[in-house]
Amino acid sequence: MPGIDVAVRQILIIILGLIAIYAALDLFWFRRKTQKSVYRSKALNVLIFLSILTMIVVSARLFTLPIIIQILLLNTVDLSILILATTAVVLIFKTSVTTNFAQGMMATFGAFFAASVVMKLIANGSTNMTLILFAGLFAGIAISFLLGLFIDVMIIRKGKNVNSVGKQMITMGLVMVIMGIIPVIFGSNPIVLPAFSVDVKIFNIGDNPMVIPVQNLYAIVITVIVLAVLFIALRFTKWGLGVRATASSETVASMMGVNTHVITAMSWAIAGGLGAIAAFFYASMGTQVQVASMVPVQVNAFMAAVLGSFGSFGGSIIGAILINVFSSIAPYYNGTWQLVIVYGIILLIVLAKPLGLFGKKIAKKV
Amino acid sequence: MMKLKNILANFKKQFSSISKHPYFGFIVLGLVFLFALLLRNMGLLTISVINTFTLVMIYSVVAMGFSLLLGFGGLASLGTAGLVGLGSFIMGYMHGKAGISFTATIAIAIGVALVVGLLVGFISLRIEGMYLAIITLGLGEMLRQFFISYDTFTGGFTGTSLRSFKIFGKLFESGNANYFNTVYIIVIICFILAMVATINIIKSPTGRALLSMKNSESAAQSMGISIIKYRLLAFVLSSVFAVLGGALYILHTKFSYPPQWNLSYSLDILAAVIVGGAQSIYGIIIGVFLIFGLKVSVLNYIPFFSNNPALIVIFNGVLIVLVVMFYPGGLIRLLQTSWYKLKIKLAKLKMKWRTYRYGKDDQ
Repeated sequence: MPGIDVAVRQILIIILGLIAIYAALDLFWFRRKTQKSVYRSKALNVLIFLSILTMIVVSARLFTLPIIIQILLLNTVDLSILILATTAVVLIFKTSVTTNFAQGMMATFGAFFAASVVMKLIANGSTNMTLILFAGLFAGIAISFLLGLFIDVMIIRKGKNVNSVGKQMITMGLVMVIMGIIPVIFGSNPIVLPAFSVDVKIFNIGDNPMVIPVQNLYAIVITVIVLAVLFIALRFTKWGLGVRATASSETVASMMGVNTHVITAMSWAIAGGLGAIAAFFYASMGTQVQVASMVPVQVNAFMAAVLGSFGSFGGSIIGAILINVFSSIAPYYNGTWQLVIVYGIILLIVLAKPLGLFGKKIAKKV
Repeated sequence: MMKLKNILANFKKQFSSISKHPYFGFIVLGLVFLFALLLRNMGLLTISVINTFTLVMIYSVVAMGFSLLLGFGGLASLGTAGLVGLGSFIMGYMHGKAGISFTATIAIAIGVALVVGLLVGFISLRIEGMYLAIITLGLGEMLRQFFISYDTFTGGFTGTSLRSFKIFGKLFESGNANYFNTVYIIVIICFILAMVATINIIKSPTGRALLSMKNSESAAQSMGISIIKYRLLAFVLSSVFAVLGGALYILHTKFSYPPQWNLSYSLDILAAVIVGGAQSIYGIIIGVFLIFGLKVSVLNYIPFFSNNPALIVIFNGVLIVLVVMFYPGGLIRLLQTSWYKLKIKLAKLKMKWRTYRYGKDDQ
């Protein structure tokens, strides 16, 4: 398409203009203020917001808005998966202060278990497909929940004097262990996980017909319900209060009578469950469940958490949404360099705001 | 008779002073690996063991660069795989396809490593800690995508292969026995040079500055250490080591395939450095051997493991978990402490034997 070059040029010109405006403001206005950093961070927020808006608006003009909406609708299942994985990563980061590399593997273990339960039930002659799949989903969630609980109680908690890089290494070792265990338990035969539905739903927005697969609707509904429950729990229950207290300081929280062991263990378990839902939907998109299938999702989840900030759940979810929007529109500009474009944009944003879009700087005592 | 005794005593004294020099261990290690080649040419060792040794040496070079970053600079980076891949493709393309001479290719590779290291270093000035690890992970993934997509340089999904190389005016073609031996000797030389370079950096003011920066940035700055300078230096050094490791890798395997330079390779290097002990050269070599070499050289000969290949992966994972949980200083710390305890026990035994032999020492 010849229009793409023009669109890229427009985006670049507008963003460079915005940067020039920011530089001019900084030189002639912010420097003279006493609260420079507050002005700067506010201006940066506006700059980043306007840049992202520019990209979306120019893309919408190039591909027309209905097409963009259609693309985003088709990618909603990816979005749900990414949001679930990101929430799990952030939950563990908040309570254990480490990035959990085993997140994807815990999730894959759940998906394998779910798939084998589904296959057993089909072989036993059950016919109600939706019921079978829900049974499999809950079985997967339960097993990943137990696995997360086990990992925290038996392994992460026992390591004395382990810093956050050490915990990272432990989760890395766990990746290898689970990767080795999966073929031993589930056999090396390929296991297929069917989708809830292969139908599509057609509806109209204005005059434009839109297509959305029914599977995506299932994914969206389940994700929204799960996240709503999780956020209500974080906001209003004692466990949620404990998570927030542990996140700000584990020692102080335990001195104030919060049982940090239980809080951390529950966080690992819930992260496992969230991962299992994500892996379930990821596996039912493709042909068969594979051991390494969740690795790209996990990398994207880390990037989303960095983009939105590890500190806040809402921020990381917005990061996940932005990554999904970028990576669903980027292939239409350039198919081969999709990943480079998306990660490049994230890198630029994080360079401008080192703690993520919604991160708060905590003053450290020397 | 007396003269001979004198000479022997003199020799012993001199030898003990030589053996205390840090280079002595490195050269002995190099000679052991060289001896392995001799055994292989006599037919006593299989080719897979020699291959493992070569890979352990190459990856040790990469891991030493990484330990300068993590163990001394305290900067976690997960983009190692991209840099190693870059080195291998520069060697494969510049020397194998474009016909640029060997030394010029190495110079170009080091130049590229300098540029990339400076770039990542500047990024690290702004982003810190866990965020830096994940951003470098993203950079590694970007490099991998670059290797896959830019197929005039890397060959895309078919990969790059190196048929022959020319060094000091001599041409070595693959498939020749000479090729194998030459590459092995080149790798040994680079390995020893890397160890010498690493120990010189560690023991110099630069290494001390890096260590102080790791422990407390504010304290380091207040002692007059420039954070910018040493962060950039740490990243540049580590990327130079990684790129050289990549160049050696393609010389040895004659092949480099873009998707192989993925996250799990970077994580393996990280695991090797942590498991072995991030601040000791021998520790790093032990770690690299455990992660990359144990499977081929030891476990494949134990029937229990060779019958169940999945167990090897589990064994490696359990090893990493246990070492990190119970020996935070790495395996080298474990070896050192157990050696120290053994020494004390031996001394006690000797004392006991003496009291038994000569009677109690009354004072």
